[in-house]
Amino acid sequence: MRYVEKISTDPDSFGDEDWADLRKYLSEEEVVELGMFLFMNLGFHTFFGTLKFYPMFSPDGRLVSQEESERLYGDKPESLQGEAAE
Amino acid sequence: MSRMTPLDASAVTDPELVELLGECEELGVPDPVFVRIFARSPDQLKPMLRAMLVSHRDGSVDHKLKEIIRIQLARFVDDPYFANLRSKKAIADGLTEEMIDIGCEDYEDSDLFSEREKVALRFAEQLFLDSTKVDKIFYDEMHKHWSDAEIMEIGSFVALFHGIHMVMKTYDARPLEAA
Repeated sequence: MRYVEKISTDPDSFGDEDWADLRKYLSEEEVVELGMFLFMNLGFHTFFGTLKFYPMFSPDGRLVSQEESERLYGDKPESLQGEAAE
Repeated sequence: MSRMTPLDASAVTDPELVELLGECEELGVPDPVFVRIFARSPDQLKPMLRAMLVSHRDGSVDHKLKEIIRIQLARFVDDPYFANLRSKKAIADGLTEEMIDIGCEDYEDSDLFSEREKVALRFAEQLFLDSTKVDKIFYDEMHKHWSDAEIMEIGSFVALFHGIHMVMKTYDARPLEAA
C-alpha cells in the first residue's frame, strides 16, 4: 500500500530503501503482478474522472439515470461501506 | 541496472508469449527488456501486451501522433525506459526526433502540427498535469476535431501508458538500445 501511494502521489520519492522494503515481503512474481495491476489503475481513474460518468446502479441495486446517479454519488468518491451496513 | 533484472531470454517459452514478444520487437515498443521483466507472471503479461499493442499500434488515430504522446508522457514522469524507446513503425512513417521534441514541449506555436493534433497533445498533457482543466469546455473543443470513438481511443491510450510509465520509473529500467 505504501508502494502504491508513493507511485501515485510522488514517484520521485521512491528510492532504493523503498524497493528493498517491498522486496522483503513480495516475491519477484508478486511485484510484477502488482505492477501490471497498477498499469490499469493509475491512469484510468484520472481519465474516467474527467468524463463525469457515474455507476449505473444505486447503492440498493436500482438501475438509475446518470442524473440520479450523480445526485446519489456526488462529485467525490466515497466509500459505500456505510450504505452496505444499513 | 534495473531493480528488477530481466529474465534470461531462454526463460520465455510460452508460445503465445513468444509470439507477442515478436510483435513487440517488430514495433519496438516495448522492447524485450520489458517482456523479460514481466514474464515472471506470464498469464498476467499476455493480456497486458495485447492491450499495449492494440492501443498503440492499432486503431484509427495516427500512430505517429500516439507515439509522440507516449514519449511526452514518459518524459513528464521522467521514465528513462519508455522515454528512450521508439516505435519502428512511426519512424518508418516519417516521425523524426525534431517532431518528437517539439510535440513534447513547444507544439502550440509550431507549424508542424495541425490544430486537431494540438488539441490531442493538449489533452494528453493536461490529463496528467492538471486533469481539472479537462472539463466540458475542453471536451467541446475536442469534439470539434475528434469523434467520440477517437477521444476514447486517445484517452484510453494515455491512461494505460501513463500507468505503465509510472510503474516502470520505479523499476529504474533502461531499453536494450537508447533512442
